[in-house]
Amino acid sequence: MPNRKPKTENRKPAARKSPRNLGRFLLRLLGVALGGIFFYAGLQKHYHDWDFAEAVLAYQLAPMWLAGLVAAVLPWVELVAGGLLVLGLKRRSCLLLIVLLAASFLVVLAVTMARGLKIDCGCGLFFQRQVGVEALLEDLVLLAWAGGLYWWELQTVSRGQ
Amino acid sequence: MRGRGLLREDLAWAFFLLFLATVFGLAKHWQVVTLSFQGNLAAHLEEMRTHRRQVQFQGVKTLNLAQAYALFQKGQSLFIDARQPEEYAELHITGAVNLPLPKVEKVGNQAVADIAKDRQIVVYCAEAHCDIALKVAEKLQSLGFTRVSAFLGGFKAWDEAGYPVDTSM
Repeated sequence: MPNRKPKTENRKPAARKSPRNLGRFLLRLLGVALGGIFFYAGLQKHYHDWDFAEAVLAYQLAPMWLAGLVAAVLPWVELVAGGLLVLGLKRRSCLLLIVLLAASFLVVLAVTMARGLKIDCGCGLFFQRQVGVEALLEDLVLLAWAGGLYWWELQTVSRGQ
Repeated sequence: MRGRGLLREDLAWAFFLLFLATVFGLAKHWQVVTLSFQGNLAAHLEEMRTHRRQVQFQGVKTLNLAQAYALFQKGQSLFIDARQPEEYAELHITGAVNLPLPKVEKVGNQAVADIAKDRQIVVYCAEAHCDIALKVAEKLQSLGFTRVSAFLGGFKAWDEAGYPVDTSM
C-alpha cells in the first residue's frame, strides 16, 4: 500500500485548525452579542420614540429640527447595524457603523458632563441611568468591543483565512 | 494594500446601510420629524407628558413655582428632596430633607415614620421632566400622609429663580 499516508500526517491539519475555529467561533459570538445589544437598544428607542425624542432634546446640543431627525433615524441605525450583525451579514460594515455611533455618543457624553447637565442618558438599554461616568465607561467598552472586532475581522480576511 | 481596499468596501456598505436606516427611520417616525421641523416638538412632548401624568398620577396634587415658594415662605411645610444623595449634597432647597424613592419604599423607614401624617409636604426632584417627585408623593399618600404635593418645576426651576438653596445636610 504505497499511497497510504501515515496516520499522524492526517491528524496534523485538524490539530492546527481547532484553535483557528475556536477563534472564529469567538469572533462570531462576540459579534452576535454586540449586535444583540444594539438591536435591543434600537428596539427600545423605536417603540418609545417620543421618550427618546425627549431624551435627545434634553441634551440641548442640536437645534430642534436636527434633534427630531436624530430621534427618528438613530434607532434604525442601531436596528439595522445590530440586526445584520446578529444575522452575520455585512459584519464589518455593521461594526464600522457601531464604532461611529459609539464614538459620536462618547463626544456627546463628554460635552454633556462638562456642561454639568444631569439628564437621563437615553441609552435605551436595560435600565434608566443618568449621564455620568458609568454611561461613559459603558460607551467606551462598546467602542473598544466594536473597534477590536473590526480590526480582528479585517486581519483575518487580509490574511486570507 | 488589501486591507485598504477592504476598508473602502466596508465604508461603502456602511454608508449604504446608513442610507437604508435613514429611509426606514424617516418613514416610521415621520410625525417626530415634521413636528421638529415645524418647531413644535418640545410643545408636543410637554402636552403628552402632562396628559400621561394626569392619567398615571391621578389624585396627586401638584404645585407650580409660585405656589411652592409661597408655602416655603410660610415656613410650615416640609420640603422633601427626592433626588439622589449626591445631588442633594451638592445643593438643595434650604431646609429640605433627602428622601429618594427607595428610602420611602423601604418598609419601616425611620425618616418617614418621624413625619406627622397631617404635615404639609412638598416633594421635588431635579427638573420638570422627572417623575420621581410624583412617584414619591404618590407613595407618601399611600402611606397615609394627607397633605402631600409635588412641585413639578423641580430644583432647577427653584435655583434659576434665585430662591434660597443650601449645601448643609
